[in-house]
This record gives sequence, C-alpha cells and structure tokens, in this order.
Amino acid sequence: MPDPLQRVRPVASGDRQEPPDVELLRRMRLGEEHGLELLYARYGGLVFTLALRIVGDPELAREVLQDTFLRCWDGSESFDPGRGRVPWWLMGIARNRAVDLLRSRLHQARLREREPLAAGTHEAAQPDATDALATRRAVINALQGLPVAQRQAIELAYYGGLSQSEIARELGAPLGTIKSRTREAMDRLRALLWPLIEPQREAPDGRD
Amino acid sequence: MTEEREHPIEDLAAYALGGLEGPERVRIDDHVGACAACAGLLEQYRAVAATLPLGLDPVPPPAEAWAVIRAEAARHRPPGAERVGTTGRPGWRRVMWPVLTALAASLLVWNVVLQFELTHRPPGPEVEALARRPGRLVILAGTGAPGASGRLLVAIDGHHGHLATAGLSPLSAERTYQLWFVRPRAAPMSGGTFSVDAGGRAWATITVPISLDDARLIGVTEEPAPGSAEPTGRYVLEAKTWR
Repeated sequence: MPDPLQRVRPVASGDRQEPPDVELLRRMRLGEEHGLELLYARYGGLVFTLALRIVGDPELAREVLQDTFLRCWDGSESFDPGRGRVPWWLMGIARNRAVDLLRSRLHQARLREREPLAAGTHEAAQPDATDALATRRAVINALQGLPVAQRQAIELAYYGGLSQSEIARELGAPLGTIKSRTREAMDRLRALLWPLIEPQREAPDGRD
Repeated sequence: MTEEREHPIEDLAAYALGGLEGPERVRIDDHVGACAACAGLLEQYRAVAATLPLGLDPVPPPAEAWAVIRAEAARHRPPGAERVGTTGRPGWRRVMWPVLTALAASLLVWNVVLQFELTHRPPGPEVEALARRPGRLVILAGTGAPGASGRLLVAIDGHHGHLATAGLSPLSAERTYQLWFVRPRAAPMSGGTFSVDAGGRAWATITVPISLDDARLIGVTEEPAPGSAEPTGRYVLEAKTWR
C-alpha cells in the first residue's frame, strides 16, 4: 500500500505505473527534468501548504517551495534512505527553510507591516480525492484528540519553529514539562496515525 | 545513570519536530548513530511529524512557481548530470570548468577583500600570523539568520584565529554575538564575543579552545552582553564543513 503522503498527488493519467520516489530522485541526479516534474506534481502542493502554514505569506511560501525543489535538484540536499522516506525528507527540507524565513527579521518586519491575510485570498483548491480527505480527517481528529497543552507543544515546535527552550519560555513552563508533553503527544499521534504510516505493520507500543 | 540520559527518548520527539538546537542535535545524532533502538524510534517520530501537514487544508501553489523551478533547473543542472541525448564530452566536463571558474573567482574576491582588511588593520602579531596562509578555514552558514555567513580562519598553531562575518544584524548594547565550539558529550566552549558594524559585518580575533578535529559543531549565538557561560540563544551561524 502506498505511502499516505503519495495519495495526495494528482491522479496520473493513463494506465502507466508511476515510478517510485527514489527512482525520481535517481533521474534527477542524472539531470532528467521530467523526474523533477513528477516529484513536484506529487508533493508540490503539500510543500506549499506546509510552507504557507508556517510563514503565513503566499510570496514567502512560494520562495520556500521553489527553494525546496531546487535544493533537491542541484544536490544541495541529499536523500538518505536510512533516515526515512522521500516525502518525509521533502517535508523536512521545506519546514526547515520555512522556519529559517520565519525567524528572519525581514519576515517579522513584513508581517508587522502587512494586514492579516483575508479569507479567500488563495486560489480555491480542487476537491480532494476521497482517500486524501479521509487522511486529512484522520490527522485532524488525532490532533484534536490530544490534550490542549500537548497539541500546543506540537504546533509551537513544528509550525512555530520554536525550540523546546523557547516553548518553555513562551508558556512559562519548565523545560522538562515541555519535553514530556511533546514526547507524550508524539506517542499518542504515533499510535493513532500508524495505520496511515505503516498499514501493513502493527502499531508500535510504548518504547521500542 | 538514569534511563533518560542513557536513552534520550524525550529529546527524540523534539528532534523529529525540529525542536532541538545545535549542541542538542549533535548529542542526539551521536546517540542514534550508536543505538539502533533509538534510531528506530526517531524514524517513527519522523514519520509522525511528516504526516502533520496532511491535516492542513490544501492550498495549491501558484502556477508561476513551477515555471520558476523549471527555468532555474534548466540553468543549473545537478553536478555530474549527463546531458541526455548528446554525444561527445561527458556531462561532468561541461559543469567542471564553470564550477572551477566560479570557485576561483570567489576565492580571488575573498582574498582581495581579506588583503584589503589586513592592510587597514593595525600591525601586530595576529595580523602577521594571519598574513601567512592560515591552517584551517571554517565556513559558517546562516542557519538561523538567512543571508548571513561567516569565515573562521584558524592560525597554523590551532589556538587562535579570526572570524569574519557578514549579514548579521547589529545588536543593542545589551546583547552580543558569541562563538562556540561544541564537542560531543561536553559543554560548549566559548571562542569569544563580538559585535557587528552598521553594515552587519564583523572582523574579530577569537580563541580556539579545542582542536578543530574534536569539534562537532562550531556556531554563533546571540547572548546577553558581555557573554554567557553557555549558549542560551539560538544559533544564527553554524559550521557546515571545515577543512
């Protein structure tokens, strides 16, 4: 069963079986632009969505999107199969670039100057495929099932780009408390989302 | 030794979310490199983190984004990429000379700038030492300050050197930049503090408290003036590689 992150990509036309992600990376290393195009078609939307969530500005999100795929193309970022799957790697690159921008003083100055984005300023998304919608609901439900404090710790770390120490200062909580909340939240999410991540394997329990 | 110190499980979750800073990341990298159990758990946490964006309402990227990527990709082919459909010279030859030319040009510019700086500094033993070829060069990237960069030039004796930075924001009088050398399983050691000029540049004499071969991370943080006993601020510059 394919990676749930792959289900987000547009449905391919025709009956041709699509190459796996690592094959696309191999083609990109050889300079085949079609590999880059396919990879972008699969994950460009998700990368942009993540970037926009973090930086809150469509122009900056576009910079993150372009930077992410160009760094994959020119070899600035190399994929290590031992550290996970291609979409996880892509999301990691995009998140790091977005957080770098988020932390930059230029970005903070721009946000201070701009009005909050009005609703409806984005191009309307195409209706989700059924399985992508189900996946999104599953992730939303899993997050909403967390205690507020745990969800807050996750969101401040992942989307806010804050370190554990910064979160502790932000919330006025001990660092150890923040670390525990984060770990407990990730354990609960792991248990809830594992059928999406590894549907063929039983969910891990406790400490592995 | 507590189990948490033996297996830093609580830090693995934070690591997967990108919530650890330089020395903590180094510590976890060292640990998972030697502990299969923690490496496996970290991979699981990474998978969980990677699914978080799936819960967002999707927003399609603007059409012009792909046009820009495609245009840039056509201009900058990956290193070692073969030119598809051509005969004759291998692709690496096509990229080698432009890369070497660009590298030589950048080194020339750097050398010119460095010589200009040296001739405008008061003479002294440190300047004379630096005028000789330095022993090591460390390049720092603006991981926490996009657009910023640094060059750490370490003298042949390995104990002192000079740090040149660009692109860092000037700080108030209550704040200072501080250079750190991080070893595995040890507290970071300070290489000194410095400030930048109105143009965002610094040229500072620094101490190198440990052998560069023992350092896993070299970085610059913002600290309260006149400096801290250990890093308290985020890393604005971090070394990528050194030679």
